[in-house]
Amino acid sequence: MTGLRKGLGAWLAGAAMALALAAGPALADDTLDRGIGSEWSSLDPQVNFDAAAGWILADAYEGLVTFDPDGAIIPGAAERWEASADGKTYTFHLREGLKWSNGDPLVAQDFVNGVLRTLDPATVSEKGYYFYSTIKVKGAAALANGETTDPSVLGITAPDDRTLVIEMETPAPHILDLVGAFQFAPLHSPSFQAGGAGVFIDPAKVVSNGAYVIREVVPQSHVLLEKNPNYWDAANVKIPFVKYHVTEDVGTELKRYQAGEIDITYDIPLADLERLKAETPDEVRIFPSTFLIYYSFNLSNPDLANIDLRRALSLALDRDTLENRIVKGGATPTFSYGGGFDPDYDGPAIAEATMTQADREALAKELYAKAGYGPDNPLKLSIATTVAEVNIRRAQGAALMWKKVLGADVTVNSMERKAWLDLFYTDDWTIFADNLVGDFAGPETFLSYMRPSAEPGYDWVKPEYDAAMDAAAEQPDKSTRYPELAKAEKILLDDYIFAPIAIEPYRHLVKPNVRGFGTSAAGYHNSQWMALE
Amino acid sequence: MLRFVGKRLWHGGLTLAALVTLTFFVMRLAPGGPFSRNRKISPEVQANIEAAFHLDEPLWMQFGRFVWGVLRLDLGPSTRHRDYSVNDLIASGLPYSLTIGLWAVVIATLVGVALGLAGALRRNSATDYLAGLVGVIGIAIPIFVIGPVLQATFALRLDWLPVGGIGEGWRSLILPVIVLALPNIAYISRLTRTSMIETLRENHVRTARAKGIGWRRVLWRHTLTGTLLPVIAYLGPATAAIITGSILIETIFAVPGIGRHFVDAALNRDYPLVMGITLLYGAILILLNIATDVIRAILDPRIRNER
Repeated sequence: MTGLRKGLGAWLAGAAMALALAAGPALADDTLDRGIGSEWSSLDPQVNFDAAAGWILADAYEGLVTFDPDGAIIPGAAERWEASADGKTYTFHLREGLKWSNGDPLVAQDFVNGVLRTLDPATVSEKGYYFYSTIKVKGAAALANGETTDPSVLGITAPDDRTLVIEMETPAPHILDLVGAFQFAPLHSPSFQAGGAGVFIDPAKVVSNGAYVIREVVPQSHVLLEKNPNYWDAANVKIPFVKYHVTEDVGTELKRYQAGEIDITYDIPLADLERLKAETPDEVRIFPSTFLIYYSFNLSNPDLANIDLRRALSLALDRDTLENRIVKGGATPTFSYGGGFDPDYDGPAIAEATMTQADREALAKELYAKAGYGPDNPLKLSIATTVAEVNIRRAQGAALMWKKVLGADVTVNSMERKAWLDLFYTDDWTIFADNLVGDFAGPETFLSYMRPSAEPGYDWVKPEYDAAMDAAAEQPDKSTRYPELAKAEKILLDDYIFAPIAIEPYRHLVKPNVRGFGTSAAGYHNSQWMALE
Repeated sequence: MLRFVGKRLWHGGLTLAALVTLTFFVMRLAPGGPFSRNRKISPEVQANIEAAFHLDEPLWMQFGRFVWGVLRLDLGPSTRHRDYSVNDLIASGLPYSLTIGLWAVVIATLVGVALGLAGALRRNSATDYLAGLVGVIGIAIPIFVIGPVLQATFALRLDWLPVGGIGEGWRSLILPVIVLALPNIAYISRLTRTSMIETLRENHVRTARAKGIGWRRVLWRHTLTGTLLPVIAYLGPATAAIITGSILIETIFAVPGIGRHFVDAALNRDYPLVMGITLLYGAILILLNIATDVIRAILDPRIRNER
């Protein structure tokens, strides 16, 4: 830890540097300038949990696989892989002659060391979750929980320098989504052992294996990356420098984009969205993410314990009007919980989805009356949401619809994000404006979250759902697993413990001279695919 | 004089101690914590993370740990910015906040005093009205309006300056400094004008004029010190307010200063960072107030002799 004395001693020099920063290779044609919203929480690849910081790390590090501009899984550090017949063991074969950015050879054990460090309680990382929960790697839970410190219990091993074997307790075809740079960056042990976690933000010491290396880090301002000449595919990396700018204020980000200071924005202000779509349709990129919005009903509330009432509330929401006329943020209305992310997943048949809104509202009124509510006995509800503009607009729209269609008396209770997060576990709410960001673009990340045995906090007791999910988890292949997952989703949706509402989109502005920016639902946009023309 | 300064420092220290103690405990009353998420991680891992930041200890013990850290000039690790200690973040943000803050003070003082003097000497002239107008604009239009307007004008339309960031060195700082200085130009010019008009009516000025001393000499030697006393009294707290209050400006102009860390830290319940910046802001405020008192005491014998 640096002393304040050292810090204060350095600030005069820092002040001079602040003025001299113009000397950096900024804003030139050889630099791609990208907005990342709020500041990255960490540049430590085994610690960072933020999606936007994940872009920086996906440029600096490469996992076993990587994702093409549209999010498809393609070979990364591994050139090929195969699964065992039971789907529990995956063997990855690394490319020949892989190197770290400093020229050291990159071996399979470096990937094992990355996972070991993620799981080590001393790292204080939340990301071990991917290995003991999202996929169940042998020994991962024991290591993460501190039951053992013996690295040999881990089911990820390197029999030789170019082979990596992952053994899991249950088959998980989504494993390939979880061995990219975000979860599976390798660790350069010599530099880490010499400098500790400080090396990851020290351009003089950081060693990485991606298409770019970190050259400059200024907190709250930017991270500058430079092309890594030791990257195996360096010949196809077209942009020499990439600069990630902290763009906390979305209005300022738009102006910086218009002034040519930013090439790809992090977001688009809702107030300007319609105008920009009309004026510069080619520069506005809106596509679905893995961010699902749903309104959860508190099952321990005496009113909401009634399933007819919950169904009435779900039916009364005109999702299309809500998203396209009220929120106007580009979200995709949905009636499903796990669908809409992987085109291969059809999901269960959902009756509501095929009805007209008039039919839905008629049925909603009928169910509302059947549950014992009416003009003399209106239902009283409160929607707990955050202060973010889209969330308030959506909650106000929903409240309006429940009032108009059912005559329910609904208030919107918007609060600061951390207070909202905490409120959920206090159980002191009736309707919770909920959301979940999937770990990957597929149904299972959502459906697993809702398992009562995983204790997500919904007071929902349903052994049948756990059993159906267990049955799905036996299937080694997506083609046989997805129908099982659809059966489980049917059980989930039929209880109306929440009303699915919409899938939030990514909203970016991309300059016309930027090529290679695709529409990845998982949000991966490696700069190595892009070019400036 | 030394006793006077010593006494003020002692009182300042007590105020600061009360401030951080109150902040420490009040902050914990807010719902949510640095690691609350809507994603369930294993209870053992959650416990491990909380233990690593000593959040599992009783509150009094955490407070003791904080005080012990302050005494060793170590403000602890940031919970939101995992790569940095609070000391690192302050060391990285403070130069930017100080740079724009101090430039804003210098410009506000020079321009404000000049406008005020011009207004006082040519009362009810066009210059006076113009200075008054600048004042009203500077005070009445909020930063979050004037900032984006200047960005749209000087960056987007005229393309003279960057919209934000620090990518273009001193040119990047021009707009934030102007916006930060504007309201203070307004206050200082009104203060100088009023004070100058009053001083011109003082007996010693009339006497000096009666002795046949020229206007120019009377202005410089006999009125300026008296005129500037209230301005100096204003400058101490104003400088502190400018340095600590540039949060909005730092956000609008994407300046990586300390103000943005403060808001971000409070929203993310980054307790160590909130405490560190509170302590820093408190110390700056108190020290500048003391400095103002000392300067006034030196300039004005009446204040000096009171003690």
